[in-house]
Parts: sequence; C-alpha cells; structure tokens
Amino acid sequence: MSTATIDQLRDTELSYRALLAVGAIAVFSFIAFFGLVFPESIWADLLGILISRSTLSSALRLAVPITFAALGGIFAEKAGVINIGLEGLLIISAFTAVITTAVIGPGVTILGLPAIWIGFFAGVLASLVFSLIFAVVCIRFKADQIIAGLAVWLIALGLAPFAATVYYGGVNTDNVGTTLGTWTIPVLSDIPFFGAFFDAGPAVYMMLVAVPASWFVLNRTAFGRHIRASGENPKALDTVGVDVSRVRYAGVLLSGFLSGIGGSALSLGLGQFIGNNQTMVNGKGFIAIVAYLFGNYNPLGAFGASFLFAGLEAVQIRLQQVPGYAIPDSLIQTIPYITVIVILALVGRTRIPQAAGEHYDTGEDNR
Amino acid sequence: MSTAVHLDEITKRFPGVVANDDVDLTVERGTVHALLGENGAGKTTLMNILYGLYEPTEGTVYVDGEPRDFNSPADAIEAGVGMIHQHFMLVDPMTVAENIVLGNEPRKWFGTTVDRERARQEVIDLSQRYGFDVNPDDTIEDVSVGVQQRVEILKALYRGAEILILDEPTAVLTPQEVEELFEVFEELTAQGKTIIFISHKLGEAMHAADDITVLRDGKNVGTVKADETSNEELAELMVGREVLLEPKSAPREPGEQVLTVENVHADDNRGIEAVTDVSFDIREGEVFGIAGVDGNGQSQLVESITGLREPTSGKITYKGRDITRASRRSRIDDGMAYIPEDRHERGLVMDFDLVQNGILGSQHSSKFSSGGSIDWSTARGHAERIISEYDVRPPHADADAESFSGGNQQKFIVGREFEREPDFVVATHPTRGVDIGAMEFIHERLLDLRQQGKAVLLISSKLDEVQGLSDRLGVMHDGELMDIVDPRNTTEEEIGLLMAGEHPESAESETDAADASVGDAR
Repeated sequence: MSTATIDQLRDTELSYRALLAVGAIAVFSFIAFFGLVFPESIWADLLGILISRSTLSSALRLAVPITFAALGGIFAEKAGVINIGLEGLLIISAFTAVITTAVIGPGVTILGLPAIWIGFFAGVLASLVFSLIFAVVCIRFKADQIIAGLAVWLIALGLAPFAATVYYGGVNTDNVGTTLGTWTIPVLSDIPFFGAFFDAGPAVYMMLVAVPASWFVLNRTAFGRHIRASGENPKALDTVGVDVSRVRYAGVLLSGFLSGIGGSALSLGLGQFIGNNQTMVNGKGFIAIVAYLFGNYNPLGAFGASFLFAGLEAVQIRLQQVPGYAIPDSLIQTIPYITVIVILALVGRTRIPQAAGEHYDTGEDNR
Repeated sequence: MSTAVHLDEITKRFPGVVANDDVDLTVERGTVHALLGENGAGKTTLMNILYGLYEPTEGTVYVDGEPRDFNSPADAIEAGVGMIHQHFMLVDPMTVAENIVLGNEPRKWFGTTVDRERARQEVIDLSQRYGFDVNPDDTIEDVSVGVQQRVEILKALYRGAEILILDEPTAVLTPQEVEELFEVFEELTAQGKTIIFISHKLGEAMHAADDITVLRDGKNVGTVKADETSNEELAELMVGREVLLEPKSAPREPGEQVLTVENVHADDNRGIEAVTDVSFDIREGEVFGIAGVDGNGQSQLVESITGLREPTSGKITYKGRDITRASRRSRIDDGMAYIPEDRHERGLVMDFDLVQNGILGSQHSSKFSSGGSIDWSTARGHAERIISEYDVRPPHADADAESFSGGNQQKFIVGREFEREPDFVVATHPTRGVDIGAMEFIHERLLDLRQQGKAVLLISSKLDEVQGLSDRLGVMHDGELMDIVDPRNTTEEEIGLLMAGEHPESAESETDAADASVGDAR
C-alpha cells in the first residue's frame, strides 16, 4: 500500500470519529433545544434525565463490568488471542463472588478482610482459573479461539445457575444482605453533577484507575510492547528472543483478572447473583467486545465506548420510570443494543491486530 | 584480514532430502560474500544453520575462529551473527525505533517503563554512524520497503551484530533501492562488519560482492573472486551446464490478428485514470512486449484484457469477438491464459495444495469435472505432470502452495497456464523471482508458443527480457502507450527515453499504433 492511500485512510478514520462526536453533540443539542422550548414534552423529560446526577452515577456503576471486560479483551486480543469468552468470565466471577460471600457469612471477617471482599477476590480467582484453561486450550493445544471462547461462555452460562440451583434450589442466589457500598469523598462529592465521580462504589474508583493504567502498560512498558508485537507479528518478537507463548498467556490471564473484577463488582454491587435467562451479565461481555473495537483497542477509547453504552442503559432505565408515555418498555430496552448494532456497522475501519486469532508455532516456516 | 566465519563440512539432512552436502565456506572479515545458487540449492538452509535456526547434521560452525554450537538464534546473536530474513520481522504499526529496540528496550524507573527518549537517541546515533537515512519516529507501515530493510539491518546492529546475513535482500527492492543497499554494504564493510548475502542473481553478486560462493544441489561448487570471474562462468557453475543468458528469437512472419485493443481507457482502484487511450494489436505467432517502469498503467491494461477490470471506454476484440465486457471465465474458456503479476494474490491459493491449485481456472472444464464433482485423480495427475515438466521443487503435489519458494511457485503457475494449451498468453513478469535456469526454460516455452503460431503479450520491467523476446515492443509511460518499436533495431537508450516519457528526437513520425517502424529512425 502506498503512503498516500494510508494517509487517506487515516484522514477518513479521523473524519469519521469527528463525525460521530459531532453527531452526538447534535443529538444532545436537539434534545436540549426542544426540552427547553417545550417544557411539557418528552424532550424535557429526556433532558432532565440526561443532566441529572443520578443518571451519571448509575452510568458509572453500569460501566464497570463492561469497561473491565473490555480492558481485558484488549490485552488478550492485542497479544493475539481473541477472547470472545469475556461474557463467561463475567458470569463465573459474578456468581463465585456472591456464593463465596454467602458461604463465609456476610458478617464474618477473616484476617481483617470482610467476607464480601474475600468473595470479591474469589470471583477474580474463578475468572483467572477459567481464563487459564482457555489460554492452555488456545495456546498450548492450538484450539480455535472463537470456539474455545464460546465454550467458556456456554460453560459459565450453564454452570453458575446450575450451582445456584444446587445450593439454593433456584437459579438466583439469595441476597447476601450486604454490598460493596459507596465510598464518599468529602467536599468533592458535593460538586453538582460531577460529584457523582466522588460518591461511588469502590469498583468505580478501580475502573477510573485501571483505564489509564492499562493505557500506560500497553504503550509505555516493554511488556506492553511485547503484547502488541505478539498480536501483530509474533515472529518478529520470537526472533528477538522473547517467548511469544509467555506473552500470550500473560495477555489472556490479564483478561481473566480484569473481567473477574468486573464480574465481582457487578454482583456484589447488588448483593445477589441473578441466573435467569442470560443471567445478570446479560450480554455485557459481548458489549465489551464492541466497546473495545469501537475504541480501536485503546483503553481510553474502550472506556469512552463502555461509558456511552452504560449511559444509554442508565437513560433507558430512567425512561421506563417516566410515566405518561405510551412507549412500550421492551422497545426502550432495545436502545443500547440498537446503538451497538449501529456502531458495529460504523466501526468497520478498526484495525485488528494482524496475527489475532492465529496460532504461533516456534520454528514454523523456517525454510 | 582474519576469518569471520568458517563452515566446516556442513551437512544437513531433512527427512528424504539432503539440503546441504559437505559444504565448506570461509568468509573473511570486512568483506561482502555472495552466496549464489538457484532456488532450492540450499543457500537459505546453510545460512539458517549459521544463524542457529537449524542444527547441522554433521560439521562444525566456526565464528571468529571458535567452534560454535548454536541452539537458537539467541546464541548466534550473542556471538555477533545477525540475519535479515527475506520476509521482514517487523511490527507494522510500531515505529522504527520501537522495532529496533524490541526485546531489548532500554528501561527507566526501576525497569518498569521503556525509556523512549534513550531508545530514540540510540537509534539516531546508530543510523548516523552507518550513514542510514531513517527517521526513528516513522511508523513501519508508512515507510518504503527499502527503509524497512534498513530498519532490519539496524535491528541486527543494535544487538551487536558483526556478521550480517541477508536472505535475498534485493528481491523486494526497486533498482534504486538496490543501489542504496549496496552503498550500505560498502559503508558497513568499511567499518569492519562482514556481510553474507544470498542471491540467485548473477549481476548482483558480481556487482556487490568481493567473493562469490556458488551452491548447487546443496554442494559448494566453487568460491571465486568477483573480479576474477565472468557471468558465463558463474552461470555455468550455478546450473551445471552452459546457459544462454540472452534469449534469442528468430524473426517470424506473423499471421491473423488475435487481440485488438482500441482506444482503451481504464481507472485504477482509486478511480484515477491509469490507462489512457491505448491501442495495439497482437497477431498469431507474435510476442508483443510492453516495457515500462512498474506502475505506469501496465497492471490496469492487463486486467482490462484478462477481464479482471472493466475498461471505462474503448474496445477489446479477441479472435474477432468483442470481449470488452465478457466475463473472465469466457475468456479462459476461449483459450486465454494469464500469468499474473502477483502470484500470492492472484496466482495461487496459498493454503491449497498443488493438486487444487493446478486446476484453478479449469475446475469447471470437462477435463477435470463431471456432473459438478471434481475428478481428483485426474487433477493429481495434472499437478504431477506440471511439477515434473516444469521442475517444481520439492516435487510434492500434496504440499500447500505457501510451503514452496517464490521461484517454484512461479514455475508452477507458468506450468498451469501453459498446460491449458492456450491460443493467447498474457505473461506479466513471468520470470520475477525465478533462478536463471528456470528463466531460460520459461523463455524457451514462450518462444515455443510463438513458434506454434500462438500470440503472447509479455509485460516485464526487465528491459533485456522484453527486448530479447518481443517481436514488437510497446512502451508505456503514465498510462499512455508512448510508441511501438521494433526491439531489434532500437537501442536500450531509446527505449529508456520512451519509458521516461520522452520521444527520441528523430522519432517524430506519428505512426499508426499497429504499424511499428519508428525504431529505425536514428
């Protein structure tokens, strides 16, 4: 490809992102305009929802599992292993976190750690174990990554409600009666609207740290460069003496670790695991994949996309509570998913790591 | 002068094959040593042994006079041996500096973070020391292949390489870049580095190397000094018999028109006009050559003729039938064969074996299929016949296309196309990347076709090739057919001027495109 066409490509990519931003602002101004002009209309209600602090608050909370899974997906895929099983990792960690807390007993503390935090780490551990199995199957035994990833999802989707049924006699666990709660930072939390950032659950703070930290690791550390090289041209990495398998294991385990935080935070934020249908995770792992594709494998972009989806979800939930409109709830509930589809269609230009999904054999192709 | 590398009686056996047979090789420090041989002669295997990718079955590797036992490239790097592979080992979206330091990143903050400023400075220092013109902040995918190659060389130097092995370094370069590479060689050897490069091109070895070792069938058949040998001697060493370096074709009276191209215009993929008002015709028993620097519309013209691109205007007539908008298949069925310019993209399906590749384009013909299912035993016989007749090595019909070297892939494509028994062959760079033995063979087959009264359209950027084989020669520049000349009565300089878009002064007679007589003007 000539330099000229690459430049053209970049230009179009830039303009398309700019277009998206302009579009978002246009939609918001549209709503704001009609909301202010017609205070009795649906636009006014919508505007009220958009600028309310509680919407921001719940958007942040809802963004946690998506963001963590997306960050994990970035590390795995950048290293060359497409982890489509993020959904399964969220489910298994969400379930394990609750059941562990329940078994220990919500009020108990061990070595100064409250049960709920032990549950939290148990969830992360469960997700790590699943991702390790996934990594071994994909890297050591060279299974198809998509199929192995689907297996992770399906196993978790069956296992968690099954174990709940064994223990509680129903697919939902009982509520453990305690949650991770909120950590409120004095003074800062009094800021209107943006105070929501300083009056949030511990997982929200973890997320706000994990996003820039992931960016730093990927772009500024040698490990991050090895991850990227491993997904782009593993042979280049191998020939300079870095073990490609080890880098890929690290990438996949990181995806398990991060997804585990997301899953634990999801269920412990509520104090209960819900196992109906698609479980309480309900596609968040798949939305996470869309989020990091949309963010072009950049942790900051992935967070932006996750936050957008979570924001739409929050608006959607609030919209259902607004009385007086004859819009069926089930239609409103589709808003985040329609957005996902539209964005997926737009996202075509994402640059996927060249060697993602391919097995790497040392010594292959030496002739 | 001391010895940098000494390979002592190296033998390498693979199951069923002896790739290197008792090879001795001595390379002096501070010299450029060319390893010359045909495809499959065992050059790359020998160098992979020196680089620690293979262990020799027998024999010893000496570097700096010490016997070495390399288990991996890491050991070889440790001993100061670096290798630049034919396919570059670079990470496309990363920058030049990031690629050079990959795996050996300078660290800061207790080893947690890459010291990007130091990495950048080290790369700048290194390139200045060897006179390389590279910008450390450029992204690999944005720079030319020549620059990528220099990055590979820098990568080896960064790791302390004293001995650089380059596998077919010129295969991917433009002639100017080749010159620049040879200048880099001089600079490196002037600073005491030793260079071994693999090639199958005589001219390059003669031009750039101090010493030349010729391998044939895995054996060292001779080491000579470049300034004490001749092209003919080297060619004979490589092939094992006398070779005709210049294709010879006797004049022949052409017959009926087979293909007529009238006022054809065509766009490239970006929608910019690439072919402008081109007209010519090709007759039975004639080779019509098109010369020109790559990228002057030849590809789009060929695609218009073969049915891979629809011309924006103009008319193409084949065997008296207007085929301007005819499908690709109808053209194949009508006896049009095509040796494509990009064998990876258009010539072969890389993860098909040769049996499957051998019937591509004829999969629907009654020869190979009946009632919608393919007769695989006939297909296999077909592939095996191509393999033996066109000397495709190794002769494994069941191996995937990608496991063959470029030259052997090309021989297989040429074989497949000629086996169609075509009436008209479009040959685009038919000898690109093949060794001289195979080149001679392909040239002979093209001339055979002509002798049988078939028509051939030959596109090549090698001027001696088109000039030697063609009966008439069109020269393209910037999408236009500058002129059609008689290659036997036209000098290289005159054709060169046409390729550059200038008419030689006295050739102002605007002759009809079909009528070539301009070249006579002196």
